Amino acid sequence: MTIRELRILPPLAVGRLGAAPTPMDNYDVEVDPSRPLGNRRLVPASTFEVDPGSGEIARAFVPDELRFSQDGKARPVAPFLEVWALTEEGQLEPLTTELLSRCGASPADVHWRVHLANHKLYRRTGANGDKIEARLDLVDHARHAVQATSEHFWPQKRLPLGHVQYIKPTAEFPGIRLRYTPAGGYVYGSSKEPPDPGGPEDPNIVEVLYDASKGRWLGYFDPPEGAPELTNPAQIYAGKQVGPNWVSKGYLDDECDGLVYVTLTVAGRTLSAYARIGAGAPAYAPDGFPVRTVADELEQAIEGCEVDPEHVTAQEIAAVEEIVRRAFESVRLMNTAVMNGNTVDGQVNVASTMVRQDTGDTGRYFEPIMARSIVDTVALENLHQNLLVALRSGTAPWFADVLRDHDEIGDLSAKGRRKMPAMMRGADGRYLTLTRRQVSIIRAVARRAVSPSGEISGPSEVSGSGEVSGSGEILGSGEVSEKSEAGER
Amino acid sequence: MRIDPANRTAQLQYRAAGNPPSSQPDSAISNCFPGLEFDFRNIWRRMFEGIEMHEADNYVLKGEGEYKRLEKHRLLLVADTPTVVEVNGPQTPGGPPIPLTSQGNPDGVWTMEWSNSMAAVLHTNAGKTVTGHFTKHPSPKPAGIPMDPSDPTKPDYSKLEAVELKVLPLFGASAETGEPLAVIDEGRVQPGELTQSLCSPWQNDYRECACYYWAASRPDYVNVEVAENGSSVGNSWLAKRREPKQYVLDDRKDTRLVSYEDLFREWQGELRFIVGGDDHD
Repeated sequence: MTIRELRILPPLAVGRLGAAPTPMDNYDVEVDPSRPLGNRRLVPASTFEVDPGSGEIARAFVPDELRFSQDGKARPVAPFLEVWALTEEGQLEPLTTELLSRCGASPADVHWRVHLANHKLYRRTGANGDKIEARLDLVDHARHAVQATSEHFWPQKRLPLGHVQYIKPTAEFPGIRLRYTPAGGYVYGSSKEPPDPGGPEDPNIVEVLYDASKGRWLGYFDPPEGAPELTNPAQIYAGKQVGPNWVSKGYLDDECDGLVYVTLTVAGRTLSAYARIGAGAPAYAPDGFPVRTVADELEQAIEGCEVDPEHVTAQEIAAVEEIVRRAFESVRLMNTAVMNGNTVDGQVNVASTMVRQDTGDTGRYFEPIMARSIVDTVALENLHQNLLVALRSGTAPWFADVLRDHDEIGDLSAKGRRKMPAMMRGADGRYLTLTRRQVSIIRAVARRAVSPSGEISGPSEVSGSGEVSGSGEILGSGEVSEKSEAGER
Repeated sequence: MRIDPANRTAQLQYRAAGNPPSSQPDSAISNCFPGLEFDFRNIWRRMFEGIEMHEADNYVLKGEGEYKRLEKHRLLLVADTPTVVEVNGPQTPGGPPIPLTSQGNPDGVWTMEWSNSMAAVLHTNAGKTVTGHFTKHPSPKPAGIPMDPSDPTKPDYSKLEAVELKVLPLFGASAETGEPLAVIDEGRVQPGELTQSLCSPWQNDYRECACYYWAASRPDYVNVEVAENGSSVGNSWLAKRREPKQYVLDDRKDTRLVSYEDLFREWQGELRFIVGGDDHD
């Protein structure tokens, strides 16, 4: 047996901060086929309990119920990273003790290296000494704290960025994996005087780390007149107004991102791979998903921004249903009357909305986007429900026309602002567009040729593997019926 | 279980044993302004060899070697694909859409997000050379694409600086085969850069922004019911108390909402998880 190469999967893992002692349990998110726009069900799933001392997976269990917090603290989302091997058969398969043994290697031949960083201060000040970095090598199965430092920290001060542990494989759990547990989500501070050993005076922070006599983060401000190199949006740091300036209070957090490397020395060759991890805020509505995600960005970069409209399969139809479902999952948790720019409780133009931003950024006339009667959450649920039904029956070609294209973000006409997705902000600060690939998929599905009876005509393929059936009937789960006899329609 | 090494989407979506869905890339928002888990706009900063772009603007932050001269210039076209669009809209009630120019934006243009504007160019030209057209001079303010007076449908290339740019692949490459991997290249984005332009600390953003464009991750309107008049009634997610059930508009000073200090000190006790639209532990 020869291992040609290694991979770490997933290649990008999202950790989520929390100070609870036990990481979040595993669960599945399921769509109720009878209520495709209803709330998804959270179903407890097989969870690994890691013995922090031995590094072994002590057991796999399915929790009785899901709790996202514990004793008033958020449970951190602590992802596992698995090592996979590209074997001589040309396939990726999990790297296990058995596979290592067949190659004449053992888990001790696997080494890990972790490089995490928080560059939030550096991004503002531009001072290299403001980079906060942690590097760690792992050759054992102990649970290691990731302690980051900076040239501008007080002596001996470290920013905790969580823990990493090379999970010790066992006969029951033979896979080679690492676990990253993010930090507690604390706020840290800065001072010009050496930190008080008794703890900080400022109740907002847990510890003073940053030496403000070395660096300028405490008291820093983005130029109020703006500058093209600033973050966009700018002035997004804890601060206070001093004259025209938004002046930094010198706060920093324990969010981070970085790289995890694995190396395996086998038969005189050193193989390596890397993956990315990050630690961010909790997902506070875990039974829903954002309408546009980093997975969509990466998928577009991998697969391209266009799909072939002549080959709409069940995969594309399911993808469109998922986009509509996700859109509604955002809408459901938004006060859409507010986001529409309506007057609420007699208050005009108070909340941060696209309506407000249109006027602030460009001088556009301030006016709500749509009639108030159609933007209430209840009305929008009905709209999305109707859209889903139309998409399923192949009668929604109009939907393709109301989508906002990526190069229409400058159209702030009344019609332009009403395009979909509505009332939301994109990465460029103007009205949100989906990825071009998402748009292409929706258009391909919405405009697929449909006969008056709802039958898909033309080149759509039929297969038992989940592609569009002759009838085009879609099951609630996103699966496609293979019924094609006219009598069954 | 086996995965085809060429199937990068499958690798990207792979959920490792024991990992909850909230650890997956499809749980992280990408309408980053600036973002929640990541500011994913940062993956595009080094799309061209020797040049570092602003993550959210067509402004050149750094240039190496011969590209040093392009610092502070703006990149307006890549392979004839525009990076900016004109902004139009009414300035009076019922008025016609007109170019929305201002002292700070005299050409009335806006830089599109890289992910979409460059999607086709970068996908088809990874590893290849394309022609970029920059402003001829440093341009701190947004700049429009100068059009040819004799043919207003075409750029006036004489007013731009043409530079050959090598498109760097977004993804790493297999040492064995050279084929692209599913992981973002280690040199393309350095540790700390995916989160560097988020709020510091992130808790500040939960009140500072008063915006709800990531409602599926950071809810706004919760415990919602249908009221007697057929419309909805519910709580602000940031409301300290859930009774009476009413939406408290965030005017940045209403004490019925969780404050900055509350978030810094006790965000984990103040912010509630929402399942089924309702509060959940």
